[in-house]
Amino acid sequence: MNAKLERLSQILQIVFGGRLRSLTENLGEITVEVGAEDYLEVVRTLRDHAELRFEQLMDICGVDYSAYGNGETTCKPGRRFATVLHLLSLEHNWRLRVRAFSPNNDFPVLDSVCGLWASANWQEREAFDLVGIMYSGHTDLRRILTDYGFVGHPLRKDFPVSGYTEVRYDTEAGRVVYQPVTIEPRENAPRIVREAGYGEIGHV
Amino acid sequence: MSIEGVFREGFVTTSLDTVINWTRTGSLWPVTFGLACCAIEMMHSGMARYDLDRFGIIFRASPRQSDVMIVAGTLTNKMAPAMRRVYDQLAEPRWVVSMGSCANGGGYYHYSYSVVRGCDRIVPVDVYVPGCPPTAEALLYGLLQLQNKIKRTNTIARR
Repeated sequence: MNAKLERLSQILQIVFGGRLRSLTENLGEITVEVGAEDYLEVVRTLRDHAELRFEQLMDICGVDYSAYGNGETTCKPGRRFATVLHLLSLEHNWRLRVRAFSPNNDFPVLDSVCGLWASANWQEREAFDLVGIMYSGHTDLRRILTDYGFVGHPLRKDFPVSGYTEVRYDTEAGRVVYQPVTIEPRENAPRIVREAGYGEIGHV
Repeated sequence: MSIEGVFREGFVTTSLDTVINWTRTGSLWPVTFGLACCAIEMMHSGMARYDLDRFGIIFRASPRQSDVMIVAGTLTNKMAPAMRRVYDQLAEPRWVVSMGSCANGGGYYHYSYSVVRGCDRIVPVDVYVPGCPPTAEALLYGLLQLQNKIKRTNTIARR
């Protein structure tokens, strides 16, 4: 960890202390994990604290951890859905990743950060649309990318690649209609066999 | 066959279908319907090097002024009703050119949950241009094939 990241991690430890579930440094970037109950207050402090000043929200990702590590690794978290914020401090030239898991796997809810960064609006809509995470306090939580009336969340690991419906033009009805998928599902994910020590190129 | 007689008499004889097909093939006006990267190649074929204007093919911004639709790119489920509506608004007689793998049969996104597996599920297609994306020459060749197809039709003489 270089001096700049060292300083950031020290400030984070001092400001948040026990509210950080974990603080890891990987590939020259710092990731902190916070609880869902602390999430909104922590990111507000990250934005407003004079020593931190993460005034820019770069990205919001919804993550489905249900197939994390292909079932082979031991670091599988018990909670399924996480939201990851990518923050940038222009003042200090720092980047930070904040991860928060939603407590309920069946109905994942997390506080919205729309009030802190206006750009979060569409990002959270996208995470809601594709992964199905609800953001409480969001003013306009509609789908943003998928079809009107779409059912399901396509980036969830249990969503079939070909989906459930397809469209065709019905000449009798004179309009485009939906029908169940007619093609056979196809397994096209490569099977990766990991051998010990194979392809290690020095990533830490 | 010489042209001197034409100059002297001032007229030629031909069939009405030949004239109709000549007018139709000589002014194919496609509606601009670019959906993805294929649209870039479609623009190339319209630009100076290949110059679709030479064939009387001029892109129009409105389906009401067009008689061809070049489906250039991936047709998604969300876009399908809009595309059908544009097709319905085309003036008749009308033709459809399906450009590229995605429009032909879904292509790379054939197994996707959000893509129509071929635009012929939504509109009738006259010419399929293969490629991903097809080159500007390939699209030009496809449009010339469409002209050949139109020349085979008979409007007056039912045969």
